[in-house]
Amino acid sequence: MSPLTLFQLAALILLAIGMYGLVWRKSLVGMLISVELMLNGAGLSIVAAAQLSGKEPALGQLGTLLVMGLAAAEATLVLAIVVVVSKRFKSIETDAVSELKG
Amino acid sequence: MAILAKVAFFFYTLIILAGAWWAVTAQSLVRALVGLIATLFAVAGMYLLLAAPLVAFMQLLIYVGAVSVLILLAIMLARAPAGGEEQDPRQPRQYVNALLVLCAPAFALSWVIIKHPPVSRLTPSELPAEALGKALMGPYSLAFELISVALLVAMAGAVLLAFEKRGKK
Repeated sequence: MSPLTLFQLAALILLAIGMYGLVWRKSLVGMLISVELMLNGAGLSIVAAAQLSGKEPALGQLGTLLVMGLAAAEATLVLAIVVVVSKRFKSIETDAVSELKG
Repeated sequence: MAILAKVAFFFYTLIILAGAWWAVTAQSLVRALVGLIATLFAVAGMYLLLAAPLVAFMQLLIYVGAVSVLILLAIMLARAPAGGEEQDPRQPRQYVNALLVLCAPAFALSWVIIKHPPVSRLTPSELPAEALGKALMGPYSLAFELISVALLVAMAGAVLLAFEKRGKK
């Protein structure tokens, strides 16, 4: 297998386990951890594709830096949401928080 | 050197696999966070293997340094019950959903990747940090500015959300 295929498979591991965690976890913080795993898989895939195909290495590396910036922004917002939810519902489990019936 | 790179690659892949699995299955959220941090370190090692040292150090600074501390703060502020938050039994439907979501993309995408392997070079292209900086100031400056605005808005929104009004109980 070529190096790019191997790196893409490693990124795929991160994506699959992250999606598994997103469905499996019950608390919001556990879901946040799973989302971070998936974002890391995306970043690894972008950098591997850019560095090993030899086409636009700068674009790939900068794209991953932007993904990291967005991940930091997303983690900040989720922290605020967790604080608000735990104040209002005294729990961060998604089953306790969901109020819509149907 | 090629052998050494392969050994390093499989070492990092092993850490990624173990850390990610630990991060999604650990009962206590703090232990899950430790698994996540191990995975983040291994991904930084992958970036070094790909000859992208700047991205690797940004990974260490932003993810290991900042995001994991944010998640730790979230765990603390949520005042989770002691002894693990994820101990309640799941419904059987949730087992099925989780396994389906784990297997479906893994099999489909790995089939595509192996069946149609992308054109790959044997060694990664090396780019000096100076070229990255010039690209950031030149053709990609709009994205650079937009990410700054996005970070500012996220910070302001987080403060606004978590702000407690004075006098209101």
